[in-house]
This record gives sequence, structure tokens and C-alpha cells, in this order.
Amino acid sequence: MPVDDSPGDFESALKPLWLRAQSGDDVAYRQALGLLASRLRAYLKRRLSGLPDEVEDLVQETLLALHLQRGTYDPTLPVSAWAVAIARHKLVDLWRRRGRRDSLHDAIDDVDEQSLAAEPDDGGARRDLETLFDALPPAQRQAIELTKLEGLSVAEAAARTGASESAIKVQVHRGLKRLAALVRADARADTPGKKMSRMDTLDAGMSQPVHGRSK
Amino acid sequence: MKTDALIDLLARDAGPAPRALAWRRLSPAAAAGLFVSAVAAIGWFGALPAQMFATAVPWMKMAYAGALAAAAGWLAARLSMPAAPVRSATRAVTVVVLAMAAIGLLSWFAAPAGERMAALLGHSWFSCPPSVLVLSLPALVGSLWAVRGMAPTRLRAAGFAAGLLAGAVGAFGYSLSCPEASAAFVAVWYSLGILLTGALGAALGPYVLRW
Repeated sequence: MPVDDSPGDFESALKPLWLRAQSGDDVAYRQALGLLASRLRAYLKRRLSGLPDEVEDLVQETLLALHLQRGTYDPTLPVSAWAVAIARHKLVDLWRRRGRRDSLHDAIDDVDEQSLAAEPDDGGARRDLETLFDALPPAQRQAIELTKLEGLSVAEAAARTGASESAIKVQVHRGLKRLAALVRADARADTPGKKMSRMDTLDAGMSQPVHGRSK
Repeated sequence: MKTDALIDLLARDAGPAPRALAWRRLSPAAAAGLFVSAVAAIGWFGALPAQMFATAVPWMKMAYAGALAAAAGWLAARLSMPAAPVRSATRAVTVVVLAMAAIGLLSWFAAPAGERMAALLGHSWFSCPPSVLVLSLPALVGSLWAVRGMAPTRLRAAGFAAGLLAGAVGAFGYSLSCPEASAAFVAVWYSLGILLTGALGAALGPYVLRW
């Protein structure tokens, strides 16, 4: 969907969708999250020019946080201001992790990474959320798989598992919360060696032409 | 997982967003904290004699603590919502504290000059602030937990607001067993105890409110 990039127009396209999403319109919610993802990607890309392979992971982490915290949105505010405040919080969290880690590494490590850095495709997250799903408690994982991946309604999922509908909803919400915590823990564990990240950028560099960082 | 797939996953069957989230998280935390602090205050220090409640003094303390809890709870709620302006809530907290300070000053000047210091210090000025702080701890745990479940982005400020809320709740509990009768005493020593709890919340915020 072509979107005018000026902030006012972006907000006026986003806000009606978002308000409908807040009152339970899933189609509007999907569209609103799509708009937000592209805006957040641009925001994070500009601020992570030294760590381009972190961008999409952080977009996904932020989207998960937006979803879990949609109850903290104040309808009198611009949606984009709220979303960017959350993205900024996640970005500061990443920098704090990086800052602490990077001081522990020798300069060669940094130079190495910089010289290999290739801009990943949009949508090319390094971390695979699906593997993190495996670490969820079984009831939460099952509830998410049935309702979110297989596309059953909550009622169908309840009938399939024998749990009540409200129990399914609670398990889905808890599962996504747990997933967000796993993402954070994963980002921490992942940061020191950066082995995965270097392998990925190496792969990306071999399979496709390395292009410069967009501004 | 592609980002588009994640969006599909999040949006599918998402339903409406939770309403009045801050209220639903903060008020049970404050209520539970109040219950514990009231029971602890009465258990440790004994309940105020019933005839004291015929005077204005305990009601003044409860009104101050209650108004400050409401204002600080509002501030904590605003600080739990990303990008939400906090000016009105900050002003509300300030107004409550200044109003109590004004009442305290009035009572100071209304008292005969020779008795002012005695009224201000009472017989428990030294133990009042730490008692308020200790009685606030259950509410502090609750309010930090409540804020942490939302989306604070200014962790020190959010911790401070959660601490003020807890401090006001603890002061409310303490007022049920505190026999001091001077408004000046309340304006200074209650406020100091609440401020100490706020400072504790601010110190803890950056560590415990991370998400």
C-alpha cells in the first residue's frame, strides 16, 4: 500500500485504522501493524546504521511489544508517537546491551563486523521466532499454534483442547508475553559472540550483491 | 519468521484492546497495599482511640494521604503509557502537597509562638517518616509490579511515581494509629515519609521496571 511519507498524512491514515483495531477489528489491526512496521523499520534503520542486521529483529520485538501493550495507548495521542516511544525504549535497551558488551571486545571484532555488514532485506529477521515458540510451556504453545498459526477460532480451539474459551485467550496472551521475554533473553544471550550475526551477514553477502546502507 | 507473518499472527483473533488498563492494574495493588499497611499499623502501634475520630485530625491525615494517592496513581498511570504527557498529573501531585503545606503553615502560625516547635515535632517526629516508609513497602511492591506490567519508558520517574503512590497508601495506614494532632506535623513528617518511599521507588525503577 503506497503511503505518503509525511508525518501528518501517515498519522491520518494510521489513526482511524488503529482506533478500529483497538475496538476489536482484526482486519484494521493487521493493516495498522503493517503501516507501523514500515514506519518503525525506517526509524530503526536510521538509528542502527552500524548494526543493520539488528533492524528487523528490533522491528519484530517492537511489534510484539506494541501488541502486548496496546492497552497503554491513550486515544488522545498520535499513534505514531506512542509506537515510536516504544521503539525508542527497545532501541535504548539494545544500545545498553551493546554498549556493555562492546567494551568487552577488542576492536578487531568491531572492524570485522563493520566491513562485512550488508543491509538485509526487509522481512529478513535474524532471529527465528518459530524456534522460540518451542521454549513456551505446552499449553501456551498449543493455544498459539491453534488460534494464531492454524487459524482456528477461539471456540474451535477450546473444543479441540477441552479448555474453556477464556482459558485459551489467557494462554495465548501469556504465551505472547512469555515470547517477548524470550526474545529479550535471546537478544542478550546472542549479543556477546555475535557469531550468528556474522554468519548471517556473510551468507547474505554471498547470495546477493552487497549494497550500501540506505539513508 | 517474516515480519508479515508475525503481523498476521498478532492480528488474528486479536479482539479489542484492554480498557482502563492502568486503573485495573494500579487500584488492586494500592488496595492490597492499604489493607496490609492498615493491619500492620494497628497490629504494631495499636489503633487510634475511637474518640479521636470525632476530631478533624485523623480525617485530615486520611484526606491528605487519599488525595495524594489518587494524584500519584494518576501520575504513575501516565508514566506507564508511552508518550503520554504528564504535566496535569504532576501538577495534581504538586497541588496536593502544597495544599497540605499551606494548611501546615496556617496551623504553625495559629499556634502560640511558644508551642509551635512542640506541635511540629510532636512526640514521634523521628519515628514517623521511617514508619510511613516501612508501612509503604507492601504497596511499593504492588505499585512497581503494576507499573512494570504496563509500558513505562522513563523508569526513574515511573519508579518515583509508584513510590509516591505507595508512600501515600502507607501514610493512610499509619494515620489509623498515629495520635499526632498538628497539621504542621503531618505536612512535614508524613510528607517526608512519603518522599522517602518515592525516592526508594526512583532508585529501584531503573532496575525493576525494565521490560
